[in-house]
Amino acid sequence: MKFTPELEIPGGRIKPLHYDDIDGLFALYQNPEIPGQRPLEDKEQLNRMIEYSVQMAATQRGMMWAIETDGQIKGLVSGYDWQPSELRIVMRVDGLPSLSQKERADALQAAINFLSSKYHVRNFAYQWIDGQPVSIKDMLVECRFQKAACFRGAWRTGNTEFADVEQYHWISSAEKPVPRRLGDDDQLGQNLSASKEGDDR
Amino acid sequence: MSWNFETEHFNVRLPVSDQDGEALYALLSQNDAVAHIPRQAMNIEAQALDELRRIAMRFESREAAFWLVERKSDSKVVARLGIQHINWMMLNSRFQWELDQECDLTVLQEVLPVVMTYLFNELHLHRLEMRLRAGDEKQTQLLKALGFSYEGTLPSVSEFEGQDVDLDIFSLLSGELLA
Repeated sequence: MKFTPELEIPGGRIKPLHYDDIDGLFALYQNPEIPGQRPLEDKEQLNRMIEYSVQMAATQRGMMWAIETDGQIKGLVSGYDWQPSELRIVMRVDGLPSLSQKERADALQAAINFLSSKYHVRNFAYQWIDGQPVSIKDMLVECRFQKAACFRGAWRTGNTEFADVEQYHWISSAEKPVPRRLGDDDQLGQNLSASKEGDDR
Repeated sequence: MSWNFETEHFNVRLPVSDQDGEALYALLSQNDAVAHIPRQAMNIEAQALDELRRIAMRFESREAAFWLVERKSDSKVVARLGIQHINWMMLNSRFQWELDQECDLTVLQEVLPVVMTYLFNELHLHRLEMRLRAGDEKQTQLLKALGFSYEGTLPSVSEFEGQDVDLDIFSLLSGELLA
């Protein structure tokens, strides 16, 4: 069962995380964008992250894509804190310095379009942490996100240091899905069949 | 380290599962006490007993803590205060209250300092956040009078009684309580 699809973006694609991409992902985690986050030291941890990415998608808790342009992994676009029954999710893009704002926006938009059309997610949030590039906020506005709140001191950057978090939202105007008769077209075990060895994820 | 406190007129204590069912039901069956969350008021006492069991389990795992505010003069429970979604890494938590109509600003100004002092000084939390249905004037006035700051409104966070619910966000950082 394939949960995270590969999606085209201008100049490249966003694609499910794969064990072949570990070097690229490791390079990404050497440049953490989140204030207070340290560079990843143990490459092995990425194996687990890839496993989690499959499990998260299968159980509708989150979804992760690698952003690949010019044949190079330049970032990650992900959704987390997914609340399927409330049709909402929090999005995030992490990138190498070489990932342009345009590529960020394209990757974010592709992920949002997929989650919106396939899973009827309507409420997309994005958290910007004080200390991240301000250009990310411009990118969010370009993607029609609106600032909803600023959480004071909500992100811990050190033992006694805290940063503010701005939360942005984009609400889809699509109609909410109408529930079908439950049980029709069900696929038994649909969330259990993804495996590390197989191509399905 | 005790989680139970006392002020001049009130006991602020963790609930007792097999004793507080009736008092908790009397509080949480009031629509006015829970409408800001928003949540349905309880309509049978067994719900309060279930809630007490849940509270005990959540407290054991340090996932949440809820206190009953009991008036000394007549043992009436006039409020429940609580923290949940505790993030021990970020040192923050969601704060929640359910207030009887007899619990006003004066009562809160007496009982909140002992709870907040404990949360900020003993548990070393840095930030408490309260989320409530957008536009609740009464709750907003209380929060502001106590030193909470309005941070914004999150749109369409959930559905309640067929309506999308927006939530106002208020926060209190360590040292900000006005009482």
